[in-house]
Amino acid sequence: MRPFHLLSFIRILCTLSWLLWSASGFGSAYEAPLPSQLSTDPDLCAYAPCKDVIPGADAFSPRKGRPTYVEAYRNTGERDDKHPETNSARRELIGYVFLSTDIVDIPGYSGKPVVTLIGMDTRGVITGARILKHSEPILLVGIPEEKLTKFIGQYVGKFAGSKVEIGTARADGDSIGLDAISGATVTVIAQNQVMMRSSYAIAKQVGIIKADPKVPARFVPSAETQDWPALLADGLIRHLRVRPDEVGVADSGEPYIDMYFGYLNVPVVGRSVLGPENWQRLMADLKPDEHALFIVANGTASFKGSGFVRGGIYDRIQVVQDVDTHTFRDTDYLNLYGIAAAGAPTYRESGIFILRGGNFSAAYPWSLVFLANKLDQQTGTKTFANFDREYWLPARTLEGGRPEIVKPAPTWLRIWQAKLSQIIGLILLLAATATLYAMRDRLVRRATRKDKRWVSIPKYLIWTLSAGFIGFYSLAQPSITQILTWFHSLVFHWRWELFLSDPLIFIFWMFIIVTVFIWGRGLFCGWLCPYGALSEISFKIAGALGLKRFQFHLPMRWHDRLKWLKYGIFALLVVVSFYSMSTAERMAEVEPFKSTFFVGGVWNRTWPFVLYWVMLAVAGLFIERPFCKYLCPLGAGLAMPTTFRWFALKRKAECETCHACQKGCGSLAIEDTGRIDQRECLLCLECQILYYDDHTCPPLTKERRRRTRSGLELTPIGADGYYIPIKPIVARTMEETDREALNKSVRAEPVEAQVASALGFDKLSPNGVVLDQRFHR
Amino acid sequence: MSEKRIRLLPHYADDYHSLRRLAWEVWDHLWPWSRHSFRRGRFAVALSFGLATVVTAVWVLAAVGRVASNATLGWWIGWSVFEVLVRLESKPYIKDGPWWGRNYRSANLMDMICYVSFKNLLIAALLFLAIRVLKALAWIGG
Repeated sequence: MRPFHLLSFIRILCTLSWLLWSASGFGSAYEAPLPSQLSTDPDLCAYAPCKDVIPGADAFSPRKGRPTYVEAYRNTGERDDKHPETNSARRELIGYVFLSTDIVDIPGYSGKPVVTLIGMDTRGVITGARILKHSEPILLVGIPEEKLTKFIGQYVGKFAGSKVEIGTARADGDSIGLDAISGATVTVIAQNQVMMRSSYAIAKQVGIIKADPKVPARFVPSAETQDWPALLADGLIRHLRVRPDEVGVADSGEPYIDMYFGYLNVPVVGRSVLGPENWQRLMADLKPDEHALFIVANGTASFKGSGFVRGGIYDRIQVVQDVDTHTFRDTDYLNLYGIAAAGAPTYRESGIFILRGGNFSAAYPWSLVFLANKLDQQTGTKTFANFDREYWLPARTLEGGRPEIVKPAPTWLRIWQAKLSQIIGLILLLAATATLYAMRDRLVRRATRKDKRWVSIPKYLIWTLSAGFIGFYSLAQPSITQILTWFHSLVFHWRWELFLSDPLIFIFWMFIIVTVFIWGRGLFCGWLCPYGALSEISFKIAGALGLKRFQFHLPMRWHDRLKWLKYGIFALLVVVSFYSMSTAERMAEVEPFKSTFFVGGVWNRTWPFVLYWVMLAVAGLFIERPFCKYLCPLGAGLAMPTTFRWFALKRKAECETCHACQKGCGSLAIEDTGRIDQRECLLCLECQILYYDDHTCPPLTKERRRRTRSGLELTPIGADGYYIPIKPIVARTMEETDREALNKSVRAEPVEAQVASALGFDKLSPNGVVLDQRFHR
Repeated sequence: MSEKRIRLLPHYADDYHSLRRLAWEVWDHLWPWSRHSFRRGRFAVALSFGLATVVTAVWVLAAVGRVASNATLGWWIGWSVFEVLVRLESKPYIKDGPWWGRNYRSANLMDMICYVSFKNLLIAALLFLAIRVLKALAWIGG
């Protein structure tokens, strides 16, 4: 027989990885390169498939409007090249086409927007939508991209002004419900906002939708003036600062932009900032539905930008109120020559902007938005980013106070609310598992090598729930990609919303982090990992169905070499992720989790994935958890901190030479020296059952036989795994007893030893090293 | 006490004073060298000390956004590999069990890789967060 070569194995693995990598993302919109002109060129449809989203269109106008869109036309007669001026009369406007990123900046799960081309007819009904580019990792390696295509297909026929919600429509009939994509909740919620807000903005701009008029603000008359700090403290002037690292540029010691702004129509702000006379003049020039804001700024960037030079539009700032976006043209600009309020900062740039009509009311909250080009440090590409600060006049400046506003809950909170039952189920399962494991000493004492029900039944139950409820139903299988995302968030930009947006994964990870430090990775890997549970169940079922005689452990010399593979894969993924996150995510397909849980059956994937999955599944029938032992990068990532877990499994001095537990260890985690390699241990508790089993554990068996032969009592087995010693008791006087009690209290164990002892953990021997070498391997 | 034990376990392994022991541990986390290693190769120690200073400077620069994150990662990996080698020679032990305990044992290569990489990750995270908070405070203060 040909000897096993590690090198050959690695070659096979590399080939397989390449096949998987090639198979994933082929022909998809994932990180699809888009022409740079797509977002800037007047002829949008030269770079985007506009005809796909508005059937029947023959021609398209250049980009127009703010935010931009193009008009779609259908020819109603033959083209007349001799009289081209008459051609426009022979074509009919049938709708509009727009690019989502020209209108909104709503990030998906990846933190980047899904670039979507949307078509809408002249009645405001959506006629088509097409994803041009996305960066959603789940759609690359888990859920097929067609599901997102199918999801956005649901918008066709919906009116731009409709309230569309994910999931079941509300009973009041006020909203339309859409089918979500299981496992991609964040993506679909973000995409829903993209579709509806973009369509609404264009429908409103072209006059299809008339916005509900807002009650105009009526200000409390006042001749009061305030200094700058008082205006800031009262919220009458707001501050918006963008740091260089937030837009991916080098820190020069100055902010990227540092803006102060306020609403000048309010007497106290206008008088304080402009001075009473200037303010009176400005107000006299304004029409009833016009509003004046001032902005002063410092920083390396300009809030005026250069767009107003070319097209007369200030393209760096916007005022947003609800779904209404207001932009400013050069005709809306007035010079701001100085600030009257005492204590005002010096500034490099300033201006007064007039907001003309457009259903704006200062009685309601609004935001000043600064738009910046953000440099993605990972890819070197520029993306569109918004930074905003809310402004809402204090109640004392408004007659009748502030109107009541019901603000929509943040997206992550809505997801938590929608998944409440699953969250409760998961928390109960995790709590039950942790409690059971904390009671392991009682369970393993009741079990024996021949009858392990006290340990195996809870474990089988947890495995079944884990695979069924966490894996297949909730799609909450933790993955190495989440560790990579955490690394990146730590180094690049931490976003709590990103982690909170997937509540089950968030809760599961909190549990994993805590338990890894208490008990090691085994509680997750051995008890709760859905894929691990499935692998273990299939191994047990295969054994029960007659394959037991073919089941085997790899020889230790192979195991000791192969177990390093997973650490290598983990390190490789971490390093590659800093080069390219998307490449690392593709390489993370070494985890078969997505094929198992996310795609509705592995057969829905391409053949390399199926082949890989089947290979692992077949190997798992004969070898216990081959993937977990040798390939799982997540397991490797968790094994590293397991080195510092607090509470280890119990060992006896005799374990050094006795190999009884080692033979039964399914994880092959017990070394020849008797020490348990906690990084490899999956906490199956087999060795702990033997630890207390006086018919199996050799030192205990020997002692049991000796006592039986000598007619001595079999005392209970202590926490140290030995029979409690039989000591003759000498009759003593009360005084002697009291003295001994006093001595005992003086010689009391250190606090930590008492705590560990009370918890039932065999740790913290008072004389340190000698006992450590004896008990804690 | 055998000479082997002195080399493999920390000198404070038998110290019952918890606070003093923890203070020694903090020192050990931050200072990978020992007298033993200082005696053995002064040049190598001086070189590694210089490297440690440079790495710390790079970390601080990275945290304030003056050095690209990928360069920082490169430094981090490079330094961690070097620290593993230094520690295996000078302080070849780790603690098993709870952080408040005294269960020290000699470390093998994998123990040391796990210890150094995880410790440096935590130090880096703390440094990043601390500097970002301080920076944010400075920004707020104008």
